[in-house]
Amino acid sequence: MKKLLLSFLFVAFASLISQRSYAQVIVIANPSVKASTVSKAELSDVFTGNATALKDGSHAVPVLLKSGTTHEEFLKEYIGRSDSAYRAGWRSLVFSGQGAMPKSVESDAAAVDFVSHNAGAIGYISKATPHEGVKVLAVK
Amino acid sequence: MKKLLTAAMMLALGVTSASAQSLEDLNIQVHGYATQGFIYTTQNNIFTTSSSNGSPAWSEAVLNVSSQPIPKLRVAVQGRYFLLGNYGNAITLDWASADYKVNDRFGVRFGKVKTPNGLFNETQDIDPSYIWSLLPQSVYPLPSRNSLLTHTGGVAYGTFDLGHKFGKIEYRGWGGERLLGSTDAFFVNQVEAGLNLPNGLGGMIFGGAIHWKTPLPGLTVGISDIKNNLWSSTATAGNGALSGTETINHNNQPSYFAKYEKNKIMVAYEYYRLPVSGAIQIKGIPTIPIRNDDRDWYAMASYRVSEKFTAGIYDSQITNKAAALGPARFQKDWAISGRYDFNQFLYAKAEQHFVDGTAIGYDTGLNPNGLKPDTRMTIFKIGVNF
Repeated sequence: MKKLLLSFLFVAFASLISQRSYAQVIVIANPSVKASTVSKAELSDVFTGNATALKDGSHAVPVLLKSGTTHEEFLKEYIGRSDSAYRAGWRSLVFSGQGAMPKSVESDAAAVDFVSHNAGAIGYISKATPHEGVKVLAVK
Repeated sequence: MKKLLTAAMMLALGVTSASAQSLEDLNIQVHGYATQGFIYTTQNNIFTTSSSNGSPAWSEAVLNVSSQPIPKLRVAVQGRYFLLGNYGNAITLDWASADYKVNDRFGVRFGKVKTPNGLFNETQDIDPSYIWSLLPQSVYPLPSRNSLLTHTGGVAYGTFDLGHKFGKIEYRGWGGERLLGSTDAFFVNQVEAGLNLPNGLGGMIFGGAIHWKTPLPGLTVGISDIKNNLWSSTATAGNGALSGTETINHNNQPSYFAKYEKNKIMVAYEYYRLPVSGAIQIKGIPTIPIRNDDRDWYAMASYRVSEKFTAGIYDSQITNKAAALGPARFQKDWAISGRYDFNQFLYAKAEQHFVDGTAIGYDTGLNPNGLKPDTRMTIFKIGVNF
């Protein structure tokens, strides 16, 4: 009984931690992007190459993190794919002539720098990363 | 062709030495992949390989160079080296196109472009993008890949968002010319019988496709159709001593398909019909009628077991309603597949096929004692991409 209770508490704690982790990923955009909120579907379309603009007409250019916890959490929460499946999707577009691989950067700071200097750029970073010069998009 | 590929490769090499600023301005990207496969079969040799002894004669390498000088315009070229048994063993131009996207609702692409019919025609050659070592051969026959992948002409495409209740409609329309090469798999048995097509066989094609991304997230349902106009080409026999024509009458090739993809699961189905009629008329030889009515389908499912490993299974069937009864009239192929991604650059695949019937993939030259009604095929493949 004790073992069962401890296991339950462990799982509950782990879920709580994982939920808190998702809340640590924020979506940032260049100030040229008019929207203040974006839907999960819109975000997924932009980051999978299915759309080049948001519903409000703002041109959208995705920028990715090359790897790391923030990247994995973003994919899991907003794209619903593993990194390998996600990149396979982009490869399909590249190797069939329908798209170009989006810009990838090494770090959150590099993502902020790219987004702040490129019209239409949309990226994602850890909430704890300083992000002057960009706007935060609420995802509904 | 080789000059064009040499130029493309020099462009790729040249851009690596160009200034970082010029690369950035033109958004030039270079990508590629290479695969090496190994096939072993029981009973019959397949794909013009000596697969009953185990054959490594299955290699490909692709180089893709693209540039996006302005946000709405993308120019790209892709060259390929392909070897499968007696097929290929040459560098060819896969496609080369200029793509102008006005907005998400309308874009156009011109050049030697991929033909967007069915569920996987545009991506059938992109081995890194899917789990299977072989796509269902009933609809995507590997030895005819080079001929069926593209046409020379244009594609118009776009997406209409119908709102949360009705989903999205993706449309594609295309027209142009398609050429089946003289060494295409469609003609392998004809060639082995002494009937050649020195210029291949081709003509005008037109088509359209609708993909409905339904309100149910992950579910896409679609239809496409290709209309081939009359195709006619020079045919020869007797080592060129006799000549005439091979003609294929106009036909429609409809596909109906559906795909559901969510989290770790993918399920898909496609039905395709290929009705072909025509004739080979060579002076001095009785007219040889051509009649095919292939009714093809497959159903597949895959599951991402872990971050690095995905497993899948499919059933692929072809029935030629115009053929005489017997194993050559049909082919049923059960496949069990696995893919392991070592990292984002390197992967390996393994696949086991249980094939009954001999409708596709076999030639007489490498099966001189006749075909056995069933085959078991084991495939291993390794691939790298960047």
